[in-house]
Amino acid sequence: MRRLAVAFFLLILGMGVGMAQESPYIVTYDHHLEEPGNLEIETYTTMGIPRSNQSFYAAPWMEIEYGVTGRWTSEFYLEGQGTAGDSAVFTGWRWENRCRPLKREHWINPVLYLEYENTSEASRIQKEIVGGAPDVESPNSDLQSTKNHELEGKLILSSTVHDWNIAGNFITEKNLSRGEGFEFGYAVGFSRPLATLASGASCRFCRENFIAGVEFYGGLGSTEDGVSVHDTAHYVAPVLSWQVSENASIHFSPGIALTGQGSPVLIRFGYSYEVRGFGSKLSQWLGGKH
Amino acid sequence: MTALLKLALWIVILQVAVLSQNTSYQQDPNWLAPSNAASRANPLAQRPEAVAGGQKLFHRNCVECHGDDGSGLVKKHAADLRLPIVQQQTDGTLFWKITNGNPDRGMPSFSKLPELQRWQIVLYLRSLKASSESRAKQN
Repeated sequence: MRRLAVAFFLLILGMGVGMAQESPYIVTYDHHLEEPGNLEIETYTTMGIPRSNQSFYAAPWMEIEYGVTGRWTSEFYLEGQGTAGDSAVFTGWRWENRCRPLKREHWINPVLYLEYENTSEASRIQKEIVGGAPDVESPNSDLQSTKNHELEGKLILSSTVHDWNIAGNFITEKNLSRGEGFEFGYAVGFSRPLATLASGASCRFCRENFIAGVEFYGGLGSTEDGVSVHDTAHYVAPVLSWQVSENASIHFSPGIALTGQGSPVLIRFGYSYEVRGFGSKLSQWLGGKH
Repeated sequence: MTALLKLALWIVILQVAVLSQNTSYQQDPNWLAPSNAASRANPLAQRPEAVAGGQKLFHRNCVECHGDDGSGLVKKHAADLRLPIVQQQTDGTLFWKITNGNPDRGMPSFSKLPELQRWQIVLYLRSLKASSESRAKQN
């Protein structure tokens, strides 16, 4: 396993890097998949600003995203969290797949999303919000002992209108570990680059390197407690991404709660690094032709 | 838990090994722009200063498969963008192909780039033809 990890990092070091315009959203998905053969390594953190009866927490996660084909992207997550005055725990892993059923660009572009989650109740990354509100008040020792095996599906609809991206996700999640019903959630986002014409100069602070937008996300209840927005968490979150170099970007999003559930403010930030041609290099390494 | 992690890792490696192979490049007869898209004119055609931005975008997004000079990398089965078979296509056709890609043949969609930036790339592709012709004359 250690040799595999060393080989993995050597592979990355010896590889060309490239840049693609990254989506600024942190919760919402649009229809743009990872380019085939490219690997993106991302690290994000969700920080929860507490209410009077809560504690501050930071929940980091790491994503490894790979473009399997032009219409299929696969992603693996590792996540954890640390709560002030409590403990820091590893909260589990996830494996997601996104697939574009249609070959060409259309006015509305659907993407099908399926994810398996092996996480504990202590998970606080809030990559999506489903059902009611996440439990951010109970101690980690209570939450960590409850493990969940969950399947999550999303219908992603996304459109490009005059350089604006408009994306909507309908989310449904089923906990396979317990006899809970289906939980539902949503995410909607709008974003646009600050400049649509690229300058000839190589520049870090050009407006074309920034994409700004806003996303809304929240829970829609469950089949067990009733499908409604009652007692559920909802957030509005401005989003900003900055392409800091040819292969790296920084993302920032402060989410403001619209209801009294969950944390009142979620500060999210992340860094992503894209490695081009990872697939062909790995294939060579494994003895393939390419 | 460890067994599940190993299983997930092997599944990803198998995906990589089996599914990331590109097919040999051939002009896809089914990759045709609709007539209304093919007839679109480049809004930047009269703005030669935009070529520099197009070059930058080309180097960021296209050289991985098409090479620095647009000649196309054999191992990627990518088109030589200087060839008449490419250069004779209309601006609108090239724009449509950049926008939609041909995902089943390894060409990704670049619809995530703003529309003007895709037109800038088309503008730069035209300059590849000119530079390739001037090199041929010098030789």
